[in-house]
Amino acid sequence: MKKVWAMLLVISLLAVPMMALAADDVLNVYNWGEYIDKQVITNFEKEYKVRVNYDVYDSNETMYTKLMSGASYDVIIPSDYMIERLIREKKLQALDHSIIDNLDNLAEGVRGYQQYDPDNTYSVPYLWQTVGIVYDTTKIDPADMEAQGWNAFLNPDYKGHVYMYDSERDAFMVALKALGYSANTDKAEELNAAYNWLREMDKAVRPSYVTDEVIDAMAAGEKWMALVYSGDAAYILSENEDMGYCTPSQGTNVAVDAMVIPANASNPELANKFIKYILDYENSLMISEEVGYASANAQVLEELSGEGGDYEGNDAYVPRDGYELDEIYHDIPEDLRSQYSSMWIKVKLHE
Amino acid sequence: MERKRKSPWSFMTNGYLLLIMLFIYLPIAYVVVFSFNDSKSMTKFVGFSLRWYEAMLQDRTMLESIRTTVVVAVIATAVSTVVGTITAIGLSKARPLIRAAVLEVNNLPVMNPDIVTAIGMMLLFIVPGVQLSMTTLILAHITFCIPYVILTIMPKLRQLDDNVAEAALDLGANPWQALTKVILPQIYPAILSGALIAFSMSFDDFVISFFTAGVGVNNISMYVYSMKRYNPSVNALSTLIVVVVTIILILVNLIPYIKEKKTKKEEQRL
Repeated sequence: MKKVWAMLLVISLLAVPMMALAADDVLNVYNWGEYIDKQVITNFEKEYKVRVNYDVYDSNETMYTKLMSGASYDVIIPSDYMIERLIREKKLQALDHSIIDNLDNLAEGVRGYQQYDPDNTYSVPYLWQTVGIVYDTTKIDPADMEAQGWNAFLNPDYKGHVYMYDSERDAFMVALKALGYSANTDKAEELNAAYNWLREMDKAVRPSYVTDEVIDAMAAGEKWMALVYSGDAAYILSENEDMGYCTPSQGTNVAVDAMVIPANASNPELANKFIKYILDYENSLMISEEVGYASANAQVLEELSGEGGDYEGNDAYVPRDGYELDEIYHDIPEDLRSQYSSMWIKVKLHE
Repeated sequence: MERKRKSPWSFMTNGYLLLIMLFIYLPIAYVVVFSFNDSKSMTKFVGFSLRWYEAMLQDRTMLESIRTTVVVAVIATAVSTVVGTITAIGLSKARPLIRAAVLEVNNLPVMNPDIVTAIGMMLLFIVPGVQLSMTTLILAHITFCIPYVILTIMPKLRQLDDNVAEAALDLGANPWQALTKVILPQIYPAILSGALIAFSMSFDDFVISFFTAGVGVNNISMYVYSMKRYNPSVNALSTLIVVVVTIILILVNLIPYIKEKKTKKEEQRL
C-alpha cells in the first residue's frame, strides 16, 4: 500500500511543472480541431523559443462559451459571423500592423468577403471555403447539375440518394438562395418560403441528414449527391475521381475563418508575431496542404491549384470569388436563431 | 442417473447471450481493427499498417491530453477514495437522522445531470475570480467522484458486524489499529470497486471537464469531441485504452486469487 501512495505522489509531482512556465514564453492558441499542420506549431516554437498551448473546439459557439468563462487566449480562429459579434461586443483588440507586415500576401478573393472587418483591423483570414454540392458524375450529368444548382435537392429522380448536411444555417441558406433571397434575411415571409422549400425537399428526395460522416461516405461513393463544404469536397474529389463539385449559380455561402487576438490576451506581442508567421508562404502552404481548405495566402492558392500542385484540376479547392450572389453569414439575433432551429427540427421530422 | 434433457429454450437463451455479447464487443472489435487500417477511411479496410499509432505518438496535443486525463484521474481517484471512505465509515456510526440527511445530499449530484454540476462548478470558480486551470479541473473531478465512492462503500459497511470492531478494541487495539486492521480489510473490496468507478468516471468525463478546465488543459474526451474532422488516430488511442483497461481488470481479478493461494500454502506448511 505504501508503494502505491509513493507512486501517486510522484505522478502528482509530475503534473506541477506543466503549470510552471513563465507567462512571457507561452502562447495560448485556440483553433478548430484538426485544422492545422501541427509541424507549423513545432516550427514556431523552435524559431521563437516559446511554448504554444494549443487548444481546440468544435464550433464557434463552444469557443464563445469558453471565452465568456474568462479564459485568456492569445490567438483564436473563429468564423466571420462570430468575429462580427466579438467586434461588436468589444472582445477583440486591434492588431499591430507594424508586426504583421505581410498582409499583402492575402488573396484578393478572400479580401472581398471581409465585410465584418474590411481593413484587417482585428482579423487576418486563415482559411476559407464555399458551400456546394459534391455529386457522382457517373450518376448525374455535370451539365444537369450545373443547370439545376440547388434545385437538384427537389428532384425526385434522386430520391434516396441524397445526403443533407445537418446544419440549420446551411440548410436554410440553400433554400433561401434557391428562392433568390439573401442568406441573411430576417423577413418572415422569406423564412417561411424557405421552410416550405425544405419540407418539399424532405418529401422529394428523402435525404439522410448527416454531419462529418458524409466526407467518408461520399469518398466511398455511397450516394449520388451531398451538401458539402468545399474544403471537405477537395478531399473527397482527391479520393474518388468520379466525384464532381458544383458551386450553384444561384449563389452560396462563403465562410472565412480568421485569426484574431482577444481583448484579454496575456501575450499580444507574441500573438501578432504568430499571425504574421501563419500568413507566411511556407506555413500557409503546409496548413492548406494538410487541411484541404483554401488558403488565404494568394501564392499558396495559386501553387496548390496550379500545375503540379496538390489540388491541380480539383474543382473544389479554390472557392469561387467575386460572384455577386455569394455572401458571408452575418451574426443573427437569438430569436431568429431559435426560429431556424425549431423549423429545421420540423423539417427533419417530416412534419 | 438420467441425463438432463436439453431444453428447447437453451438454443434461444444462448442465442440471446451471443447477441448481447456481439452488441457489446463488436464496436470495440471494430475500433481495434480499424486502428490498423492503412487508409483514412472509416468504412473500408485497405491493409495493415501502424501509421495511426505513429501519428498518435507524433500528435503532441493528443499525447498531452492523455497525460492530463491520467494525472487528473489518478489524483481524483486517490483523493476521492480516501475522503469517500472516511465519510462512509463516519456516517455508518452517525445518528440515523444525520446519516439519512447526508446520504440524501450525497445522492443529489449523482442524480443531477452533469451539465448542471458543470455550470455550477464553473460559476463557483469564476464568480470569485479564480482562473480556470488544471487545479480547478482536478478539484471538480474530486468533487463529482466522492459521491460515487460513498455510494459503493455504504452497503458493505451496513453488512459489517459492529461487534468485531468492538472486540478488537476490547482486546487492546487502539482506535487507529481497529480501523486499519479490522474495518478496512473487511470493506477492502468495496473500496477497490469505489476507486475503480471513480477512476472510470473521471477518465471519460467531458461535460464537467469542459467547463472547469483552463487554457491549455485538455483531456482525451475534450480533444476527441472538438475534432472538426474524423482522425483515425482516435482508433489507435481507443485501442490502447482498451488494452490498458483489460490488463487492469485481469490484474484486479487475479491478484486476490494468487494471494489466497499463497496464504493457503502457508497455512498448509504450518
